[in-house]
Amino acid sequence: MTDPLLQQTLTGSFRLAVPEIALVGTACAVFLMGCFTNRRCLAFTVSLLGTIAALVLAGVVDTELPPIATAAPLLNDPAAAFVRWLALISGAVLLFVAWGETGTGHACEYYGCTLVAVAGASLAGRANDLVTLFLALEFLSIPTYILLYLPARDRLNQEAAAKYFLLSVMSSAVLLFGFSYLYGLTGTTNISAITQALAQADGTNPMALIAAVLVIAGIGFRVTAVPFHFYAPDVYEGAPAGVVAQLAFLPKVAGFVALARAFGLFGTDPLSLPFNSGTQIPLLLWIVAVMTMCVGNALAVVQDNVRRMLAYSGVAHAGYMFMGVLAALALPDAKTAPGVGGADALLLYLAAYGLMTVGAFAAILYLSTPERPVEAIEDLAGAGHSHPIAGGALAISLFSMIGLPLTAGFAGKLLLFVGAFDAPSDSPAMRNLYVVLVAFAAVNAAIGAYYYLRVIGVLYLRSALRPLGRSKALPTLMAAVALAGGTLFFGIYPEPLAKAARKAAPVPTVPAKAVADGR
Amino acid sequence: MSIYAATRVLVLLLVLLPLLTAAVLPLFGRFARRAALVAALVNVGLAVPVCVVASMWLDEHGKIGGRARGDETLLTFRSVFVPGEVTAGSDAPASGTVGRTTWTLFRVSASDAAPDRPGPRVQLYLGLDGLNLWLVALAALLLPVAVLVSWESVREKPHTFYALLFLLHGGMVGAFLAFDAILFYAFFELTLIPAFFLIGRWGTGSGRRDAARKFFLYTLAASLFTLVGIVGVAVTNPTPLHPASKVRVPAAVVPLDPAVNARTTEVVPAERGPITFSIPDLMHNVQVWAGAGAAARTVVANAETLLRGARDALVPVERTATAARAALDDLRAKKAPPEQLKPAQDRLLAAEAALASGRAVVAAQERGLASARAAQVEAERAATRSKELQFWFFFALMAGFLVKVPVFPFHTWLPAAYGAAPAGVVAVLSAVMAKLGTFGIMRLVLPLTPDAVAEYGLPVIGTLAAVGIVYGALCAYASTDIKMVLAYSSVSHLGLLVLGLFACNKEGLSGAVLHMVNHGLSTGALFAALGFLIDRYGTTEGTKFGGLMGKFPVFAVLAFVLCLASVGLPGLNNFVSEMLLLAGVFAATVPPAGSWALVTVGAAGVFLSAWYTFTMMRRVFFQQLKEPALAEHAPLAGTKGAPEGPAPAAADVSRREFCAFGSLAVLCLVLGLLPQVLLDATAPDVRVLANVGGAARARLAGVPYVSDEPPAAASGPAFVPPAMQPVQMNPKGGGGPKGGGFPKGGGFPKGGNPPGPKGGPPKGPDPKAEE
Repeated sequence: MTDPLLQQTLTGSFRLAVPEIALVGTACAVFLMGCFTNRRCLAFTVSLLGTIAALVLAGVVDTELPPIATAAPLLNDPAAAFVRWLALISGAVLLFVAWGETGTGHACEYYGCTLVAVAGASLAGRANDLVTLFLALEFLSIPTYILLYLPARDRLNQEAAAKYFLLSVMSSAVLLFGFSYLYGLTGTTNISAITQALAQADGTNPMALIAAVLVIAGIGFRVTAVPFHFYAPDVYEGAPAGVVAQLAFLPKVAGFVALARAFGLFGTDPLSLPFNSGTQIPLLLWIVAVMTMCVGNALAVVQDNVRRMLAYSGVAHAGYMFMGVLAALALPDAKTAPGVGGADALLLYLAAYGLMTVGAFAAILYLSTPERPVEAIEDLAGAGHSHPIAGGALAISLFSMIGLPLTAGFAGKLLLFVGAFDAPSDSPAMRNLYVVLVAFAAVNAAIGAYYYLRVIGVLYLRSALRPLGRSKALPTLMAAVALAGGTLFFGIYPEPLAKAARKAAPVPTVPAKAVADGR
Repeated sequence: MSIYAATRVLVLLLVLLPLLTAAVLPLFGRFARRAALVAALVNVGLAVPVCVVASMWLDEHGKIGGRARGDETLLTFRSVFVPGEVTAGSDAPASGTVGRTTWTLFRVSASDAAPDRPGPRVQLYLGLDGLNLWLVALAALLLPVAVLVSWESVREKPHTFYALLFLLHGGMVGAFLAFDAILFYAFFELTLIPAFFLIGRWGTGSGRRDAARKFFLYTLAASLFTLVGIVGVAVTNPTPLHPASKVRVPAAVVPLDPAVNARTTEVVPAERGPITFSIPDLMHNVQVWAGAGAAARTVVANAETLLRGARDALVPVERTATAARAALDDLRAKKAPPEQLKPAQDRLLAAEAALASGRAVVAAQERGLASARAAQVEAERAATRSKELQFWFFFALMAGFLVKVPVFPFHTWLPAAYGAAPAGVVAVLSAVMAKLGTFGIMRLVLPLTPDAVAEYGLPVIGTLAAVGIVYGALCAYASTDIKMVLAYSSVSHLGLLVLGLFACNKEGLSGAVLHMVNHGLSTGALFAALGFLIDRYGTTEGTKFGGLMGKFPVFAVLAFVLCLASVGLPGLNNFVSEMLLLAGVFAATVPPAGSWALVTVGAAGVFLSAWYTFTMMRRVFFQQLKEPALAEHAPLAGTKGAPEGPAPAAADVSRREFCAFGSLAVLCLVLGLLPQVLLDATAPDVRVLANVGGAARARLAGVPYVSDEPPAAASGPAFVPPAMQPVQMNPKGGGGPKGGGFPKGGGFPKGGNPPGPKGGPPKGPDPKAEE
């Protein structure tokens, strides 16, 4: 510890996590408050104030890039900033969403856990060390276990909680196993150092491939990639809707960002990818992407329960997001300046996915009352007329999931399509597979339209035998409307979001081959 | 503010006004129906002046030849009245940037481009040209008709109904006006949402929900392939840039030094620059890459000619130099005095200098030829790749439009959707929305995949369309429900339209543009007239009616006019466009034998259309009076008087209904007598498409394309440079006609190429030189 730069790097790390520290601090306060009172208003207000404080701190605290990236446990690059804003804003929205189901006596625990999970997702974006990354992911998982257990009153709840807990622990173990290989290969736990070392190594070490496969498996659980998706429908069906909204969004953000970090996709140098097309890893991810899309969509078609349907639809959307990862992995093969980097498309799609998925769950949570819960799709019959605002918000979210123009889902899909189509197609491992991937995605989007449209048809074209109850969860409705409004706004004018995503994951303006030739 | 600038604002309003109306209408509640009518009439009042101004403008500018407009030949659409245009001064569009908007919605890529340069971004690029002008007018005219037809029949939540109708209208007009491929797709898909609710909620019959869902899913699934096709075309046809200066170039092989008096004759292949979604730019790019091989061959041939010329020019110089040296040696041998030696030495020096410069020229030309050959390799590769890819993109792009039109095996959603939709909506669907499909073919498929259209258009799609003509006609004959007769007649008529489109020549294309409007008017009016029966009897089952002629004389006359117009009686509108379409298919030369069969089928379709239409008319209007029970809210005759009649009788055409489809019947007659008004404004853009198609056919046949456009200057025989103007290698390097080997006539699509007195086209390289 004699190098002043190193010292500066390590001590500066705390400044990089100030908003997250504020969030966790608020969470502790809320937890403590739970010992004395469990009033929903109070817990909500304190949590919201904490989140706003975190947002202010994120904007105010100015940080410098750590002097030595290969020693820094946390990074504050643009990608990290994007993920932080995404996580914090979604955290604030999730607090509103949760209002609808925190009236039953454990509001403090509920809100506290949500804050910790948001902090975990935000930290995952800036983790630059295997240990911090793993800790961030656990920060996200452990509160989720509690959230799932909180209302565990019937068998379905308990099954969901137990299933998620066991499989999550197992996936963490697999992820750690992969991390241990990476450490063993490179002798460091710093992700920047690992990606540099692996990218510069001549030839690919088979151990590195094993590590990559294990990391994909571990993270595949969190992003519900096939074949690690089995828990999703059961958990979504059994868990409270607000928790599901959280579970559908935050782990996907953290998982995909972690995957992108571990594979060096947020680096500025397109050449320094440890797992380029020469390593067959893109081929593996291609297979995962296609399977995830196809299985998710095919199984969603046959669901009658609206939450199971949304669970499988979340699986399918994870498949689309893998397209962004794949496009980014192809950058080293580019001969001309690439148009879309892939990582920016991924970030944009994550944001659009958050808007539409959390929006859909918020609307469903609002429409669902204890006397008249929304379980089957048919339960929503006529909701478009009896609850025009919530029904409209749900319909907009569903149209966005279909990917119709003028919704954020379309902007995201368009960017993913362009990115995958633009990916170089003449590397020996991938050939025309990227174009085939786009065709698969198009077919899947068409299949997806079938089951989303079914819900829209039920909402508007049928009348209910027993109309839905009147819900009093106004904040939940506000969240649903705000998210639907965001979906429409970023669908009509996606430029601000696209700009932010591109700033977070800049597209290299020089083709990688030219850089390679120049060296 | 000039008229041009004012019209630009109005063009934007054409899209915004219906969308705003859709947003506001639900607030009107009980008065929604009146408010909708007022809004629809305002919309007509907006669209008609815009279209008149634009048609005058286009007519004016269309008379100027292509070259005078600044193009070598007309090869890209020219959009006018573009909102957000790059302007030079106060309001006039800057020269060279005509029809480029600065309003960006979504930058797809980081590489930034100036607002007047093509770049990877989605723009709010709306504008008018000859192709969409009359469709916008048609859509606007059909809107009040739809409102009037739905006046009585829509009783459930009328405010939402009319709001959705306006949303549908806004989407359709937006798609017609869009000049950005993604924007077009966005509006194209936007129409699905209101149509889904209009059919599923206000439709008739128990199958309406399934019909709506089938319609939505079928169209969406197919149009997703269109999206893939758009993205694919855009990504694989980037803007060609000059490798050194990074400016956009008009060919795939460009001079190294673009200056006019450049000393060097070396060429380089163009660089693949940023992608673009702007349709005019994309058209340009597609043609550059598809025509890269031909352009490179021309450049190589030019370079060869230049080299030969330089070598030929060197021969006398060499001879002079040899003679001068011989003379000097002679003098030296004679030991001539220095003062005699001096002029000879000077002569030798001059000759040697000339020789050196001549050799330098030869060397430069040799370098030029070598660089041209090198560039040719790359250009040929680009052309081959473009041709291979166009096959896939053609079918991907066509998928969405085949379903939307619909063309024969993809029409299965249509009977259910048209059968279930309320009369006002089905009038809009058949009159305007079906045109989105044919318009999409014109706007996207023909210009973006011209080679594949030339190769597979008539043989594959044309065959399907021909099958559809006969199949639709037979189904229409077999149907007893009048609505189904009209629905299937739509399949049949639009089959002919698609057939004419893929002929891809001036006759076919202008016929197609005209037929879109004419068919929209006559079919829309017929469906609106059907609303008359639905209002009174609540059914359209043909077998339940008979002898209505005596009961509703006014209605019968109007229906006759519309049916005759739909059949294509001379003097009414459809006659003109059907004849043009048939002439277009007749003139199509690819494939030579097949087009005869297609023309026969098309002509038979016109006959069959008369057969089933007259059968239906005979059944409904003649024979014994037969009518089903009156509907609940039927407008009755003599309601004002005392109810002394034995039974209430339905009233004849009311003033509202007369306005709705009577006005359209009048328009049918007017357009039948004066079609030229419409054709004049469309002519320039039809010429563009015909040129693009002709160039593609020429590439397919392996011959250089000679446009049959009138030349800019009115002197000499009508020779216009080849379509893909090769780069001006050297201002005076004309090259001259090459001797034999120019395959004229055989297989060349357009015959207008008379053998001139002095050889063929100005630059006549041998296109088969590579063999």
